[in-house]
Amino acid sequence: MALFDISVAPAARRPIGDRRDRAVQAIWASAILLAVMAVASLTVGASGTSLFGALLDWAGGQGIGLRERVILFDIRAPRMLMGVLVGASLAVSGAVMQGLFRNPLADPGLVGVSAGAGLGAILAIVLGGLLPASIAAITGMYTVPVAAFLGGWLTTMLLYKVATRGGRTSVAVMLLAGIAVGALSGALSGVLVYMADDAQLRDLTFWGLGSLAGATWGKLAVAGPLIGLSLCATPFLAKGLNGLTLGEATAQHLGIRVQRMKNIAILTVAGATGAAVAVSGGIGFVGIVIPHLLRLLIGPDHRFLLPASALLGGSLLLLADMISRTIIAPAELPIGIVTATLGGPFFLYILLRNRGILDM
Amino acid sequence: MIDVQDISVSIAGTQILNQLSFRAGAGQVTSIVGPNGSGKTTLLKAITGELPYHGAIAFDGADIRSYSSTALAARRAVLPQAAALSFPFTVFEVVRLGLLSGLHGQSDDLPARALAHVGLAGFEGRFYHALSGGEQQRCQLARVLVQVWEPIRDGKSSWLLLDEPVSALDIGHQLEVMKIARDFADRGGSVIAVMHDLNLTAMFSNSVALLAKGRMVTQGRPIDVLTNSHLSAAYRCDVRVNEAPAAIHCLPYLLPHMASVRRAAE
Amino acid sequence: MNLRSRIFAPVLAVGMFATVAQADEAQRVLSIGGSVTEIIYALGAEGRLIARDTTSSFPEVAEALPDVGYMRALSPEGLLSVNPQLIIAEEGSGPPETIAVMQAAQIPFVTIPDGFDAAAVGAKIRAVAGALGVEAKGETLATEVAAQFAALDVATADPARVLFILSMQGGRIMASGVNTGAHGIIEMAGGVNAITEFEGYKPLTDEAVTAANPDIIVMMDRGGDHATADADLWANPAISTTSAGRARRIVRINGLLLLGFGPRTPQAVAQLHNALYGDL
Repeated sequence: MALFDISVAPAARRPIGDRRDRAVQAIWASAILLAVMAVASLTVGASGTSLFGALLDWAGGQGIGLRERVILFDIRAPRMLMGVLVGASLAVSGAVMQGLFRNPLADPGLVGVSAGAGLGAILAIVLGGLLPASIAAITGMYTVPVAAFLGGWLTTMLLYKVATRGGRTSVAVMLLAGIAVGALSGALSGVLVYMADDAQLRDLTFWGLGSLAGATWGKLAVAGPLIGLSLCATPFLAKGLNGLTLGEATAQHLGIRVQRMKNIAILTVAGATGAAVAVSGGIGFVGIVIPHLLRLLIGPDHRFLLPASALLGGSLLLLADMISRTIIAPAELPIGIVTATLGGPFFLYILLRNRGILDM
Repeated sequence: MIDVQDISVSIAGTQILNQLSFRAGAGQVTSIVGPNGSGKTTLLKAITGELPYHGAIAFDGADIRSYSSTALAARRAVLPQAAALSFPFTVFEVVRLGLLSGLHGQSDDLPARALAHVGLAGFEGRFYHALSGGEQQRCQLARVLVQVWEPIRDGKSSWLLLDEPVSALDIGHQLEVMKIARDFADRGGSVIAVMHDLNLTAMFSNSVALLAKGRMVTQGRPIDVLTNSHLSAAYRCDVRVNEAPAAIHCLPYLLPHMASVRRAAE
Repeated sequence: MNLRSRIFAPVLAVGMFATVAQADEAQRVLSIGGSVTEIIYALGAEGRLIARDTTSSFPEVAEALPDVGYMRALSPEGLLSVNPQLIIAEEGSGPPETIAVMQAAQIPFVTIPDGFDAAAVGAKIRAVAGALGVEAKGETLATEVAAQFAALDVATADPARVLFILSMQGGRIMASGVNTGAHGIIEMAGGVNAITEFEGYKPLTDEAVTAANPDIIVMMDRGGDHATADADLWANPAISTTSAGRARRIVRINGLLLLGFGPRTPQAVAQLHNALYGDL
């Protein structure tokens, strides 16, 4: 083989260091898993209503009873879709943040969206009663999600403004400013918690633990397109995030427009995570555990990592939701507890098995 | 041709380069040498666009800032001094990052071939962070080669901009890598390399630029630049240049201080 | 509770899962809120009860029924899974999304308004009875309870200053201001709430505790070791400066009894008045 001679035919077999085949298999496996979880999520429930029983009845021309219809269409179906969207957006946002900050410990909270969303929710819960009746009538049960989304969005924009100078966003400044903003937001939340009465405090606590129980078609109509759009932007990010692993300068030399990529990344994370946190409260762990796990299995190539994270994140959340709905039926366990209980020990096990790789 | 005209660069208030002019021709290996802190890497970073500068840098006749990053990525590849990765990439995956510029599509064989040429054949499955410093440097070079594989594309010369490409390598590998650079230039490509080792510079360069304290001392053929007076003045120490046959590539490596070693053995 | 309820209630409660057919199929009732459950038992309608929420702790047999969770965080499918035909809930139950789903499933969701005085108790009883369709029994019970209130002689020349402490987590005293159940029951028992500067349950600063200078402290009885809890209370520097702290006067009463504002409230008022003044 002559050096620099491009006319030679390509090699027949993939070299060992090329993990793409495994990555593609993982994506297929995650997609199948998600489909299985989605169907299971429609079938499992505290009420014992059976999806297949209902389908059989409907096929047999008997029609589905009102109660079954409410359970399947008004409760389980929007909840399943919400679970997929929220799980996917949290996992993908985590992966994007880790790629952007070049740090495996990064999570969507670093752009300020979680702290801001939490603050927005607390504001709505504690001060919602002060809203003039006209506004309260319009927003109704959407007051908290809307406030949470606005809070997340505004905080991210604030951090972005602070960290961007001369057209260049410094991720290091963003990280540090995020700590400051987080502290400020925590202080404000503390004041609001002080002002809260007993019932509001309980509402706050439950919001913080996260739940998919409030999933309605109305919320899906708003959150769905937001999350969907943000997720659609991620393939554009994959190439850029790969190059970014060598450093911003090298990424630029490879022809990647680094600032444009940062802008898209921050926008999509704020949009997707903001919407997810707004409708489901504070669900932790998914953003860090899923990308880590996948990186250990299929490597850090973002072209595969991002789609796989979305699929696996959705599956994990559906599984957690099924557990939260049935384990203390007819009551419900907040989903944040389930994801932490599932994710924590499992993650620890994975880390112990792979210590060698991570000791970098 | 890369033509740097009277550029000045200051970083955090300190003037690093002062009215510096420099020229690198196509089809040649141009080395930049000088003591620590003379501004060699800064000059290279100004050319690669990493640092802002006052003055003008022309690339093939046009202002380098007028090229889009995609257009530049198609014409030149940059090897940085050091690269630490935060995620566990395999060697193959790192080298394949050179394909991000999109020039060669999915040419899967290029990474393997580039690795073979830098002496890392069979290393594809190893993890990048598990390599030694020298192996990592060669891996980065393979990545750079993959980015601009052909020395001449569309009639125009491709450029390799290398920041201390051999500083972490043993002498065997140093010769290998310099031969790759030499070969690239002989086939029409262009190389700019920031070098510390004056012997390798002498052996493999067409043109040498000597920097000191942010200014260009002189630029020209190795035999004209690497003289007792120039080097002693620039490096502030007594440097004697041995008289040797005209520096050509593929010469056996001459260790410096041979005279004192032989004298000690006698 | 009348004799018939006393015999049938435990049997029905225990046999609830195994023999659902025993309950009246036309009216499977889900009760949310401790006082609502109490009223249902007092009305003798507990045979129709199929499930309850976490706060429904009286009577004790109610705890044998399935628990649908905390009243402000109800799960829609959980509620549907117990197959109710009527849901009677205390004001403040939620979240609104769950109520919306119940409406979509065409299950009547009746909200019973809350209140902190004798009239409110009567209104609650009548509202629950109305939802169950036993208005006559409701009227009887409401009149009975109103008579019990009237029989209480709580007028006092020198009312005691009462501090209601909700909790003492980490040395922080969470006390009741005005417009709460605690305030209501204190007033009804002939006492005076030592804190009138704010509404709801809020943490108090040490200075505020000293300025309030209560004569007696009232807390909810959570069971467990009172001796330790009392010791913590008297060790608190702010409390030790107060009249109550010096005399070590504290009374603990079961939370649902004290603050439920249901049929047992006259009993609660009497118990509290006794603790404050030692007469009655």
